[in-house]
Amino acid sequence: MNVIEIKNLTKSYGKARGIIDVSFDVEQGEIFGFIGPNGAGKSTLIRILLSLIYPTSGSATIFGKDCVKFGQEIKKEIGYLPSEVFYYDNMKVIDLLKYSASFYKKDCSKRIVELAEIMDLDLNKKIDDLSFGNKKKVGIVQGLLHEPKLIILDEPTSGLDPLMQQKFFELLEKENKKGATILLSSHILGEVQRLCNRVAIIKEGKIIKVDKISTLQEDNHKKFKIEVKSKIDDSYFKIAGATNLEVNGNIISFLFKGNINLIIKKISEIEITNLWIEEPDLEEIFMHYYVKED
Amino acid sequence: MNMFLHELKAYRKSTIIWTASLIALVILFLSMYPTFSKEVEVFKKLMGGFPEPVRKALGLSVDSMSSILGFYSYTFLYLTLCGAIQAMNLGTSIISKEVRGKTADFLLTKPVTRTKIMTSKLLAALTCLVITNIVYLAVASTMASFVKTEDYSYKIFFMLSITLFFVQLMFLSLGVIISVVASKIKSVLPISLGTVFTFFIMGMFSSATGDAAIRYITPFKYFDTSYIMKNSSYEGAFIIIEVVFIIVAITASYLLYVKKDIHTV
Repeated sequence: MNVIEIKNLTKSYGKARGIIDVSFDVEQGEIFGFIGPNGAGKSTLIRILLSLIYPTSGSATIFGKDCVKFGQEIKKEIGYLPSEVFYYDNMKVIDLLKYSASFYKKDCSKRIVELAEIMDLDLNKKIDDLSFGNKKKVGIVQGLLHEPKLIILDEPTSGLDPLMQQKFFELLEKENKKGATILLSSHILGEVQRLCNRVAIIKEGKIIKVDKISTLQEDNHKKFKIEVKSKIDDSYFKIAGATNLEVNGNIISFLFKGNINLIIKKISEIEITNLWIEEPDLEEIFMHYYVKED
Repeated sequence: MNMFLHELKAYRKSTIIWTASLIALVILFLSMYPTFSKEVEVFKKLMGGFPEPVRKALGLSVDSMSSILGFYSYTFLYLTLCGAIQAMNLGTSIISKEVRGKTADFLLTKPVTRTKIMTSKLLAALTCLVITNIVYLAVASTMASFVKTEDYSYKIFFMLSITLFFVQLMFLSLGVIISVVASKIKSVLPISLGTVFTFFIMGMFSSATGDAAIRYITPFKYFDTSYIMKNSSYEGAFIIIEVVFIIVAITASYLLYVKKDIHTV
């Protein structure tokens, strides 16, 4: 079952670009990453899902219901953590959380205490006096206190120290195991790689790829670097799938995509002194998509 | 209900301050009446020295001012000015403060419709104004009965006082529609003070020149105190315009707010 279905969604802001013809689905129970450089349209999409802004054309449904028409109903089961958290300054943390809880028709007081303990958040401080990171924690507790079925996070980790990030990720994974679907927007590859099953890459308002993280990595070139004992024929590794071949004295390097056995056989037939095979990291994959095509 | 209470709490301080200011003003004004009524002849002579347009602009007509109602209605202009600023502030801030404080993301991602948000906020603002007016009326009535030199019609006193509320309602609606139309209001005070004083000065202008058309534009002139004192009633045409204006402004605010894109700041 799909929790989120986005079909041909377009949002234009007059001259400025919003998002163009975006379509993808998020399945129940998955952690879906949504990644792209700043200004690519990540927040625009999230704000449409939350009906903070309205689409120019196309449609988005959550739990099978239209985001615009059934906004109120859908939001009962959504927890949202904005990239920048701002709350009523003159309130205490606990009062804000209680106010937040009052919108949901269930008793959340136990869960507030529980979450605050995990996130190491002082409930009796004034929001005004909190640091950026601590405000973020208020946002996290606020977003999770009603045990939402869909958690939407917009660049969630900015401002959290590494220890807190870790705790927060564990918390998210726990929620995910309990059945919550998570949509996470980020420009930090590490956290997407760490958490997500699938990822959509957005660039300049368009989705350029939706795939499993594992496929993204498989689907790519491997970097081979071979040191040979004695000089071999330059064209020895000129086989299908190998590119960027460079011979530098005794060191041969190239990129390879295809059946890995072929290349291993080739290597076994010559005398080598050293061998490096590198997995391209996500960074390289994404850079490949990020870089503007001219 | 939760939003309504939250909003009321948020306006508690400002409501107390505005109510206190209004009370202080009316006490100050009315406490001057006993001295004034004794020396009305001296004052008449002094006023005679002013050119007529100035007297008109300030709303000074010495003959009517010797009675407590006349005196009260003269000072009332400044009380309405104060009340108008309060209402305009409230109206302008109810929607814009969420954008300015960047709390719109918090409120609008909760399971509530925007219509409900607007209603809660409007009702909270209205409650503040009602409380202000009740307290004001109680204090003003008590004060008037203390300083009176002869009996006066309480009905007319009440009718005059309650126009404070009517004027406030108009400025509240005006503020709300402005805050919905404007994409971002950085600061409420310049807008509310600017608008209120523009209308106030227009009102003075219309008194000075006797231009009837301006009366329809500025809320300060919708309730002509001398007409109320003479006829014990309001002018029907202005009541109708006021009601129509409020309905149109509030309905438009709802429609616009429901359709509005809430952008990140």
